[in-house]
This record gives sequence, structure tokens and C-alpha cells, in this order.
Amino acid sequence: MPDRLTEGLIDLLRPLLAVLLGLAVGAVAIWATGHPVGEAYAALWNGAFGNRTFLGSTLARSSTIALAGLGVAVAFRAGALNLGGEGQLALGGLAAALFTIYVPLPGPLPLVAGLLAGAAGGALWALLPAWLEVRFRVQLLISSLLLNYVAVYSASYLVSVPFRDLSGGGALAQTRLIPEAARIALLPGTRMHAGILITLALSLVLWFVMMRTVTGYEWRMTGLNPDFARYGGVDRVRALVTAMLVSGAVAGLGGAIEVMAVYHRYIDGNLTRPGFAWSGLMAALLADNHPLGVLLAAFLLGVIQVGSTGMERTTQIPLEISSVVQAVIVLFVSVRIGADLLRRFRGRRAARG
Amino acid sequence: MSRAPAIAATGLVKVYPGGVVANDGVSLRVEPGSIHAVVGENGAGKTTLMNLLYGMEQPTAGEIRIHGEPVAFRSPHDAIARGVGMVHQHFMLFPSLTVAENIVLGREPHRFGRLDRREAAARVADLAERHRLPIDPLARVGDLPVGLQQRVEILKTLYRGAEIIILDEPTAVLTPQESDELLAVMRHLADQGKTILFISHKLAEVLAVSDRITVLRGGRVVGERERAETDMDELATLMVGRLPAPPATFRREPGAPALRVERLWVRGPRGEPAVQGVTFTVRRGEIVGIAGVAGNGQSELIGALTGLVPAAEGRILLDGQDITRLSVRERRAAGMAHIPEDRYRWGSAREASVADTAAMGPHYRPPLSRRGLIDRSAWLRRAAAIVAEYRVRTPGLWARAGALSGGNLQKLVVGRELAGDAHCLIVAEPSRGVDLAAAAFIHDQLLARRERGDAILLVSADLGELMALSDRILVMYEGRIVGEVARDQADERQIGLWMAGADLPAGDPPGDPASAQQGGDAGA
Ligand SMILES: Nc1ncnc2c1ncn2[C@@H]1O[C@H](COP(=O)(O)OP(=O)(O)OP(=O)(O)O)[C@@H](O)[C@H]1O
Ligand SMILES: [Mg+2]
Repeated sequence: MPDRLTEGLIDLLRPLLAVLLGLAVGAVAIWATGHPVGEAYAALWNGAFGNRTFLGSTLARSSTIALAGLGVAVAFRAGALNLGGEGQLALGGLAAALFTIYVPLPGPLPLVAGLLAGAAGGALWALLPAWLEVRFRVQLLISSLLLNYVAVYSASYLVSVPFRDLSGGGALAQTRLIPEAARIALLPGTRMHAGILITLALSLVLWFVMMRTVTGYEWRMTGLNPDFARYGGVDRVRALVTAMLVSGAVAGLGGAIEVMAVYHRYIDGNLTRPGFAWSGLMAALLADNHPLGVLLAAFLLGVIQVGSTGMERTTQIPLEISSVVQAVIVLFVSVRIGADLLRRFRGRRAARG
Repeated sequence: MSRAPAIAATGLVKVYPGGVVANDGVSLRVEPGSIHAVVGENGAGKTTLMNLLYGMEQPTAGEIRIHGEPVAFRSPHDAIARGVGMVHQHFMLFPSLTVAENIVLGREPHRFGRLDRREAAARVADLAERHRLPIDPLARVGDLPVGLQQRVEILKTLYRGAEIIILDEPTAVLTPQESDELLAVMRHLADQGKTILFISHKLAEVLAVSDRITVLRGGRVVGERERAETDMDELATLMVGRLPAPPATFRREPGAPALRVERLWVRGPRGEPAVQGVTFTVRRGEIVGIAGVAGNGQSELIGALTGLVPAAEGRILLDGQDITRLSVRERRAAGMAHIPEDRYRWGSAREASVADTAAMGPHYRPPLSRRGLIDRSAWLRRAAAIVAEYRVRTPGLWARAGALSGGNLQKLVVGRELAGDAHCLIVAEPSRGVDLAAAAFIHDQLLARRERGDAILLVSADLGELMALSDRILVMYEGRIVGEVARDQADERQIGLWMAGADLPAGDPPGDPASAQQGGDAGA
């Protein structure tokens, strides 16, 4: 008899299946453009895992995608459709940079303070759409999405004008370097950083919070049926606000780690151009908002994204192939969600006896 | 037999993903032009069988023939094409559209490429006339009482050419009068040659209307009878293997006031005054019943009492404490429990596990959790206890609540609300959709709580249930309490008149007419 364990396994395998499907369609695309498929995917594999440096980049990127995805997963579980990950990530990164640069602290404190500032930045920014929803019934889905522009352009302005680093001629819109004490250590010669450990720990913590704490239970029930939760005495506003705070904090942490480990400064566009937030959204949807599944999905997406830059370097195949693969994955996810909605709708009509 | 049976199913097996065998070799033969009832305890597989016949689910094994032709429905669409229609327990209507629009939806008459409303209304009026199902084609469906909405559903199947009409527990949501009307409609349709297949837990109506009765138990057919050759005892015995015990007796006298409602006004969903200055008291050790046709303010009254809907005016007191402004959680902590009228909207979440469903309410405090951490074993123990005590048929504590049959989910919800030590119970439709044995068990539990000294407010569309359980019955009509009667003087006819909003008749109405007419300040 299939039980929860096998069901859980199937859940975990789904991201894998989606990625394999994506790669299969990608193979057709590569073949159609007249390139050897085997060689291309060997190059992709090599680009992602070929040496310590590549592997480090893959893991680093996966880590940030995972944090963005975990943020989405928390909010979505609670029924809060937070699409503001991009803004939360950017403001988290900016907050971490500015705080560590302008608030000198002794010893190892800057490290901790930077991470906390990043989390706080993301959390506070996520509070805004939650407040708009509670106070003015503005759809969170819409407001969080639109507020991304506000966040990203504000950050852009801040590092272009008031906080611009003018030391090296000021050619780039970026802040000064953060102090040594605030930098997250890298594995020598790679981009792999200790922040990955934070990501791993955080996904376990979030899994625990969701499944084993009262707050997590209230989030989940609110997400599944808000009327049921209200009936049972769950405070809807509290559930929404706490879920958004945690969601924003996790995304903000992603921005902070990226700044503190990889660039050591906030560089305009570096947190938005790679599309971390959207990859994170994809990872969360692929994993059905399961914190551990998000890790796996984020890793697979990281492999494709980093691997395909490697592929472009060593073969004639354009980077766009990775977009094709990811588009198929998105399609897979949407079809599944569509089918899910349909099933629920049908289920509602059926069998209510 | 000259004609092929309308429905001939042989060896139907349905195994749900998850391994539950809901139908285990069911064979069913329904003669054309007959009324055929399917009865059986909760989880026996009745709804599943209907869903197979309507193409909502696909059988794992077995064969279905409609009018002699083998069919393999992949969706309800296929079933409709073969003249099979189904009315679900929850209607699939658009409340903001008119009756006619709802009925023709999907097969609208067109004129110059636009919906021809006049033609639609004419066709619906004609259809209604032919089948003696009078209805106003231009009425907004959302404004109609449940009984008429159901009529719209039936007309919809007829409009689409249904020769076979399947009804899943059609009378569960109806008042006694509406039920009687529906039974007459079913009879008339059968006389016109339509074939009717329906599910019910109410054996009296089954015996009153059907030609043949199939009894399901554990996914198998355990009996098949002509109406003339069976009776209630035999059916009940076939269904559950035993007859429910007679309800307990009333011994204890009601005590001090527990729940007091003073001049309460509550707004409905469209801002209209749904409850208008209602006043009453429920004492400890007392069950006060609220009778009334659905939609006369009962839902809003319950909402205001339990904290789901704000009170516009007036006060609610629990043990003398003003709880009018308290949150749902604070009211629950003060000793209130709530069996909701709609187990799907309020009482559960389809995708939540049985264990998570059973924990809702006291989930945040010991023994279920400590310092914000869930105690998993206490969580599971509680669910297991409810499942055992109420005989909830479930594949396990981790099954989705939505995978339970309707009656079994109801038992789980009732069990959850009665599991704590609340002393003020707001109970709506407690036995909706549960089988005879379970209904009797739930009634026993409520009476036991009464004997223990709990105050119980019971709202039910089932007058029989109200009369069996209540010390007093209040009648609600258009947001007011228009009548009150004590249990030993309860008179079904009188209550029916009050429910219909008829002026108070000549002669002495039972109870205290003076106070009743002024809004029923009862029991204070
Ligand atoms: N979608 C589903 N997934 C898994 N199991 C299901 C599903 N629907 C029903 N079941 C199981 O199949 C069995 C039969 O359910 P069904 O709904 O047919 O019962 P029923 O006779 O209609 O009961 P009731 O009188 O309570 O409505 C039950 O044990 C139920 O748990
Ligand atoms: Mg059923």
C-alpha cells in the first residue's frame, strides 16, 4: 500500500523528472540547430562540475536560488503569494553592505550584524505588501510584484548617488568594499562559500518550523483553507504577517550572503540580473513548497545555469539553450499546477456526499 | 424482460490512489422509468459508485452498460452525451446569474451571435412546465432557497437531455417540506419515463419513494430489495448489522444561564440585517433548538456567537462575561465549541491530514503543543482517539481529509469539537450526511453533554432531530425569533407555520406567545 514515505519520494522526484524532461527537449533543440547533443551535454556537465572552481560556482548559485526559493515556499505555504523576492533580495543585500560599511563593530560581530541586517532589510520590505493587504485589501500578489520595481530602482539610486564608491574613479554604481571582518570565507580558489552551510541549515530549520511548530501549522492551515483556520481560532493577520516576515528575511539573507561572500560590496544589478528570485520561485513551485525539495530543485537549476555558461564557453552552442531547458521546466510546473487546480475544481463538484 | 435496463453495472471495482478499495465488485441493475435508492453506512462506497456511473471517476475494473450499450466514460461530458445527469450535494451554480442562464449555460440559444435571453427564458419556462417543476426563469439563483436551487440543478440535467438522473443525498440539505416536494418531483419524473438513482440516509423517504433499493456495505452489495418486500428494520440491519439504540432520556433539570444573547443584530454577506434583535438564553444542562428554513439568519447568528462574523449591535454573554468582542480563540478558551454547518467550508481543509484536521482549535496549547512546539505523539493520540470513538473510516491518520467520505469527515469534525471540555456547544446540522448509527451516536453524545451540564445551542433543518434533542425550540424567520415551544408541547404543524412566516394562528400557541412575538426572550 503506497504510504506517506513513497508519496514523499514521488514529491522529491518530481523536480528531477521536470529537469530531465527539460534536458530532453533541450537535446532536441541542440540537435535541431545542428550541434552534437552528446558533446553539448558533456560540456554542460563539465561546466557545472568539471573542476573545483566550476563546482564552487554551481553550489554558490544554487545556494542563493535556494534561499530565494525557501522564502517563496514559506509564504506560499501560508497562502501569501509573495512575488517580491527580487526586491527583498536586493534590499537585503544592500542593507548588509551599508550596515557593515557604516557601522563599525569589533571582532567577528560585523559578520553576524551583516547577516542580520540583510534579513531585517528583506523582512521589513516584505512587511509592506502584507500591510497593504491587511489594511487596504490590496492583493499581495500584485503589490509584492510591483514593489520589486520600487525596491530595485531605489537600491540602484542609492548606490549610484549617495553611497557610490568614488575611490576608484567611481566608474561603477557600487558601494565601497565591506570590511574584512564582514566577509564570508570562500573555499580557496573557488566561489564556494560558508553561506552554503547557512542555506542547508535554514532549509532544515524551515522544514521543522513548518511541520513541527504551532506557527507552521497555522501557516499551513491558513494556506490550505483560510476559513478553516479562522474557524479554529487562527489569527489571519498574524499568520500573514509572520509568514511574510520570515519569507522576506530568508530572501534578504540570500542577498546578504551573495554580497558578503561573493562580491564584498553591493554592485548595482548583480542581485537582479542573474534572476535569483525567479529561479527561486521556479524551485519552490517545482518542489511544491517543500523546504528540502527546494534545496534539490535549486541545485538542479544551479547546475543548468552554471553548466550552460560553461557549455557556451567551450562549444558553439548559445547560452539560450539553457533558457529553452528552463522554459520547459516552467511549462512542466504550470501544467502540473493547472492540472492540480482542475482536479481540485472537479473534486469540489464531486463526491460531497 | 423486454427492455434493456437503464443502468447495468457488473463487477465494478474502484481502488483510489492510496489503495482504498471503495467499490469491490458492485453490480447494479436499474430498470428504466424506476426510482432506485442506494443506501449504506458512511464510507460504504455510495458516492464512489455514482461517480463511476457519471464518469467523474473511472472504474479500476468492471463494466457499465447504459440502455444496453457498454460505455467507458472518461468524463461527465461523456456521461451527459449518453443521457446521464447528476445533481451533486453541493450545487454547481453561478449565484449571480439567473435561473435560465444557469440552465442553458454551455448550450445557449443564440441570436445574431449573442445570447438570446428571451429564447432561453422561454425554453426554460417550457421545460419547467413539462416536468411540473415550477420556477421563475428570471430569478437570480443566489436569491433562491436551497430547495429551488436544487430544482435548477435538476432542470439543468433535463435541459441537457438526461434520461437517467443521479442524486447524491438530495434531501440532506432540505427542510422537511422541501424534501416532500422533491420526492413528489422524483415520482413525477419517473412516471414520465425518466430513471432516477439516488442516495439517502433517511430510510423513511427511501421506503416512501423508491421502487427498488440496493444496500451497500464495505464496497459490496449486501442486499437488493423491492420496496414492497422490505421494511425499515430489515434495511437498517442490512446496512449496519444492528439497529441504533433508542435515544437517551432527559433526567437532569436545566440550571443556571450559560449563554445569553441580548438584542443581537448581525449583518449578512450583502450588508443586509440578517439577524434582527434576537434575544435568548441557553442554560446549563439545556439544549435549545433553533428551527427555521435555511437562510433566515441562522448562519449569521452562529457566526456572531462563535466570533466569525462581527455583531452589529447587542451583546453576547458567556457565564456572565461579555464575549461580544472576543476573538474566536478567546471564545474557545472560554469554553465554547462549534460544530459548523458546512464541514468543507469551515470544518476542514481538503488537503490537510486527518491528524491536522483533528488538532484544530486547541492545537496551540498543552497537551497538543508546548512553548510553540507541536507534541507529535499527543497530536496523533488525539486523532486516533476521535477516529476510534466515532468510528471514522479512514485509511490512516495521514490520509487527506478530502479523501474521507462525506459522513466520515462529518464524524471527524463532530468528534473534534466534542473531544475537549467545552461547556457551551454551538452545534449546527450535527448529523448532516452521517448514517443512522452515527447519527444516533452523535445524538447520544449531545444528550450526555446535556446531562453533564453543558449548554447546547442546536441549529438544524431536520425538525425530527430538533424535537428529539431540544428542551425548547425557537423558530427563526427573517432574522427574528417568531416562536418558542417547550419539548413536551412541540407541535410539528405549529412549528411549520412559524417557519413559513405565517401569522400566529388563533388559539393558544404553545410556549409563551407574548415573549415569543417580541423576539423570544426565552428562559431568562
Ligand atoms: N478521492 C478519494 N481518495 C481516496 N479515498 C477516497 C476518495 N473518495 C472516497 N474515498 C474512500 O472511499 C470509501 C468510500 O467513500 P464514498 O464517498 O463512496 O462513501 P459513501 O458511501 O458515499 O459515504 P457517505 O455516506 O459518508 O457519503 C471511503 O472509505 C473513502 O475514504
Ligand atoms: Mg457520499
